[in-house]
Amino acid sequence: MEAMSAGKLSCLVVLSVVACGAPCAADEASVFEFVRTYCVRCHNDKKTSGDLNLRALEIPGRRTFDESREAWERVVSKLQTAEMPPEDARRPEVEEVVRVTQWLEAEFTRQDRTIEPQAGRVTARRLNRTEYGNTIRDLLGVEIRVAADFPPDQAAFGFDNISDALRLSPVLIEKYLNTSERAVRTAMFGPTKLDPAITHYPFPVRINLARDQQALPKDLFHYDYSGLSMVYSAHVAHYFPVDGEYSFRVVLNGHRPNQSEPAHPALFIDGLLAKEFEVDATDLEGQFVQTRLKVEAGERLLSVAYLKVFHGLPPQYNGPEPSKRDPSALLSNNAEGELTKEDIEVLRKLGTKIKTDRVETRVDNRFESIDIGGPFSQRTALSPENLKKVFVCGHGPGEHTSACARTILANFADRAYRRPAKTQEVEGLLRLTALVQEQGDSWEEGIATALQAILVSPHFLFRVEQEPDAAGGNKSAPVTYYELASRLSYFLWSSTPDAELLELAKEQRLRRPELLANQVRRMLRDERSRALVENFAGQWLQFKNMDVVRPDVRRFPEFEESLRRSMRRETERFIEEIVRQDRSVLEILDADYTFVDERLARFYGVEGVEGPEFRKIDVGGTHRGGGILSHASILTISSYSTRTSPVLRGKWILENLLNAPPPPPPPSVPALDEAKAGQPGSLRQELEEHRKNPECAGCHARLDPLGFGLENFNAIGAQREQDGEPVDASGTLPSGQSFRDHHELKQILMEEQDAFVECLAEKLLIYALGRGLERYDRPALAKITDRLRARDHRFSELVLGIVESMPFQMRSADQTEDSP
Amino acid sequence: MTSIITSKPLSRRTLLKGVGAAIALPMLDAMHPIFASVADKSPVHRVAVVYVPNGIVMKEWLPNEPGTQFNLPRILQPLAPFRDKITVISGLENTATKKAKGGAHAKASGSFLSGMPPKYTAGPDVRAGITFDQVAARKWASQTRVPSLQLGLEDSRMVGNCDTGSSCAYTNCLSWKDAETPLGVEVNPRSVFERLFGTVDLSLSPETRARRALYRKSILDLVRQSTRKLVNTLGAGDKRKMDEYLTSIREVEERIAVAEHDDRVPTVDKPSGIPFAFPEYARLMLDLQVIAFQSDLTRVSTIMFGREGSVRTYPEIDVHDPHHPLTHHRGHPDFIERVTQINCLHAELFAYFLKRLKSTQEGAGSLLDQSIVLYGSALSDGNSHSSVNLPLVVAGGGRGGRYISAEPQPVSNLFVDLLNRVDIPIESFGDSTSRLGTGA
Repeated sequence: MEAMSAGKLSCLVVLSVVACGAPCAADEASVFEFVRTYCVRCHNDKKTSGDLNLRALEIPGRRTFDESREAWERVVSKLQTAEMPPEDARRPEVEEVVRVTQWLEAEFTRQDRTIEPQAGRVTARRLNRTEYGNTIRDLLGVEIRVAADFPPDQAAFGFDNISDALRLSPVLIEKYLNTSERAVRTAMFGPTKLDPAITHYPFPVRINLARDQQALPKDLFHYDYSGLSMVYSAHVAHYFPVDGEYSFRVVLNGHRPNQSEPAHPALFIDGLLAKEFEVDATDLEGQFVQTRLKVEAGERLLSVAYLKVFHGLPPQYNGPEPSKRDPSALLSNNAEGELTKEDIEVLRKLGTKIKTDRVETRVDNRFESIDIGGPFSQRTALSPENLKKVFVCGHGPGEHTSACARTILANFADRAYRRPAKTQEVEGLLRLTALVQEQGDSWEEGIATALQAILVSPHFLFRVEQEPDAAGGNKSAPVTYYELASRLSYFLWSSTPDAELLELAKEQRLRRPELLANQVRRMLRDERSRALVENFAGQWLQFKNMDVVRPDVRRFPEFEESLRRSMRRETERFIEEIVRQDRSVLEILDADYTFVDERLARFYGVEGVEGPEFRKIDVGGTHRGGGILSHASILTISSYSTRTSPVLRGKWILENLLNAPPPPPPPSVPALDEAKAGQPGSLRQELEEHRKNPECAGCHARLDPLGFGLENFNAIGAQREQDGEPVDASGTLPSGQSFRDHHELKQILMEEQDAFVECLAEKLLIYALGRGLERYDRPALAKITDRLRARDHRFSELVLGIVESMPFQMRSADQTEDSP
Repeated sequence: MTSIITSKPLSRRTLLKGVGAAIALPMLDAMHPIFASVADKSPVHRVAVVYVPNGIVMKEWLPNEPGTQFNLPRILQPLAPFRDKITVISGLENTATKKAKGGAHAKASGSFLSGMPPKYTAGPDVRAGITFDQVAARKWASQTRVPSLQLGLEDSRMVGNCDTGSSCAYTNCLSWKDAETPLGVEVNPRSVFERLFGTVDLSLSPETRARRALYRKSILDLVRQSTRKLVNTLGAGDKRKMDEYLTSIREVEERIAVAEHDDRVPTVDKPSGIPFAFPEYARLMLDLQVIAFQSDLTRVSTIMFGREGSVRTYPEIDVHDPHHPLTHHRGHPDFIERVTQINCLHAELFAYFLKRLKSTQEGAGSLLDQSIVLYGSALSDGNSHSSVNLPLVVAGGGRGGRYISAEPQPVSNLFVDLLNRVDIPIESFGDSTSRLGTGA
């Protein structure tokens, strides 16, 4: 059966409703009359334009609305987007169109309610790269950097965990072989010793914006003592492969006026001050500072900034705590800025390293580059935790008895296969260890080779589910307890079931309702549920794209690596709150709180937030407001690199919040031209012009106003009142609802909360099942959303609704002919 | 800048051991012998495609006079040193897009090299056709370490639909192994290097390496056996997945077997990451392609300078606006100028590739003479998403110095000719209607 056409069934009508009263009522006869009047001239048995014969659909006594549902859905979609009837044909009144489409949609809903629910079948699911990395981490305690080592998994329906899209290739098998070898060897024999290497990061052009500045900013109100949010700072994300010592060499650039107190460049790791330096110089170009620090493995944000950059300047700069250096050492300070010999003598006496060709008045100290060297004194010792995960029989190295091999391999295979390993499987692994020993390698080498075999086995790489027992004509059967444990853990953690889940599966208790509910709540509270935020929400709301957006550095000099991370983290922290604290999912649309660290607080203009930790702040009543549409991350990913796009933002809202993606533009109509970039005010006119074309109007009348509602935020989500001219963030939807700004737009979206709830439930169900939805999933979906609505929209109720649903609990028997 | 990637530029250190030696390999039966197997190596036995997204400013591209006396307009200027090695072709159409539904960019790149209309879907059920480069790759698959390379310069980790409801597979990939298998592009130079030279730890002794290779084979043996047992208990869909797994295992085993007879080791530094500046990034990836050809590690490669619909900005040449919206210029001269600048930059990088191929000697001729290199876009005018009169250049293969202004016809007609030129005697391909001769 055809997958639901991207959820258009239920949601297309959203925001396209034209208010009308009693005359809206239509019936079957009037629908056919409409079709006869406007459609069949071109769509008949002789002239089947668009491969559609609508005359054939009118057969008395036949349920063609049901049997030919897809054809009717096309009718609705073409009418709603005003693509049909074409301009040169006779066109119905808008009210007439609404009447007919509403009747048809009501009919579709009616049909959906009568569908017989089925469990559906998801084929063996290969672990995607995230799941693979998490699973290896939980099995061996070894971190794998999958994003760098594995190609991205193909996505479908917006998610990268869809079974049918998770194909396998020889390249991938090679990666599995290599990665498992490395992971097993690290766990059993300790990390490989790495040769120290140097990585050089030149800092990008944005630093040049600070060049040649001669005065302090007029407004020191937002003066950042750490310097981290200023254009003088520089940020880079660096991956440290192992725990160890690393060297840092920071090259400076720019200038500091004569007689200033020394500058204080500082190195921050993940936003925390790691090392402060002092440099007493006027000309900083080529000066460098260096240090060696212990760093834990992983990707870290390195930042360099000048602490209190406007402190300690000569008094005439009017900065805080002016320089106490001898003010009597006055220089001749002639017009050209040339220094006399006496001047040079005076400055030398002061101990300041100087440039001897001019008086230095610039305050533009900045950074040139950073070199990171290492690792030095790397720990290559074995981690006892890692060893314990493998050597479960409890002996120390070298003391294992031959019986240990079986225990170790059986235990590891149980965990890796997420079910008890079969004796036969363990025998095969034992033969492999024997073969290795026959070659003259050690017993441990043998175990390592067998573990590697486990990690490339299809039982590990795929979640293979047993064929349901179709005996007695059952169309579907519950999945096994072990399979249910895996479905749960990969849904909520993107990783393997833990000991507790496996134990409950073994005791066959996992299906008891209250126990299942407790497990779900436990799992949501667990750290690992962060995977649900990153992988589900990150893809659903597309904020994963924060990693790849590149806002134009000239237009947005304040956007750098640390702000990028803080923006993404805000949204993650916000969704985490909803997941962990079990809050209402409607808060995604509008909330009175959000999370910021110092960097983001400065960007948002929120005072009193210091340090890199994220904390909850109240945003009720502020201009920015709360909810996802006020997050800089979402506003950035739905913009071009140089400017906002109301069309992209409108599309983002329709697709991701209301599940009503606009159809592709009709053939031969060029995609909307938004290229009047940088010509203030013209974009709105341009779009209005575009909507005069009836083929475009259908969609753009919905898309554009939604996007214009967010025009008070620029392409990186900063608030603005001006965009060349005062920003007009008002709009009127096809329904006639109008709003003045994003606050009122959010209220309108809150009124559409049913569409939002259905959208979220459908996306989360797709993610949980790893397959697209079919019509027979409609009843399950309806139950899930009803439950959510009835229980204060709490997130755990949504998850429980899914976990208890038929498609999650059961699997249909194979109905293809060549099944066993 | 270079130091982020490797301490020294690759180009000076790319001499590989055993260059040009036709290595005697056990002639493994080609896995998909759909075409008659021909002699081991024809004079022209390499195929490369360099793809640029979002069309080209045609008035700055098309030469005036067909024949040998053609001029090189602004965008083609960088190719002047190779005038006698290139054939500029106009008049060809991406006819398959007419039969397809979906976003214009997705349809363009999704059908470009196959001549087959891509199925309109955002789901996993993508479908188009085998691309002509993959037809060539099948022919040589058993003779090289890597059947073909697919490179890209734009991270394709974008989530969601890529072009109004069309799957990202259509805009992010160029090569299709078969109608249902798009081949993802490798964007990380380090991964490309590892594909070419493997991840074997050369610090281990040859004996240890040999033992580990043996263990690997035993591991693959064991998992194959257990998969066979598993398959018998499964339904049709699951079975297909396991078949794919078994096929992959078999291909890896074959690669291990080839590697055992092949001890070439890289003498280039392994790149460590992606260069920050676009031109440098492009040159590094093109260098890797040259190395792969030079040491006969593969004979087929495609590279996408950008995914179709790319919104990359080019601050390196002072173009700070994203590429795709710029191409919808509606005749605005400023925007056309910026698009032209991007087109010129791409052409310069292509010229760099040709230079590298031409200056690398193999046997009697240069790599360029032994390769067919196609350069172009699946759209001509990006502003109107036009797929007629495509901008195309064929370089190498010992021919050139001509401008062919062809009658309107499917671009597949050209692919028939290109495949014939590498001794694949087919008469039709994709939606071809005949063969477009590119002979001198």
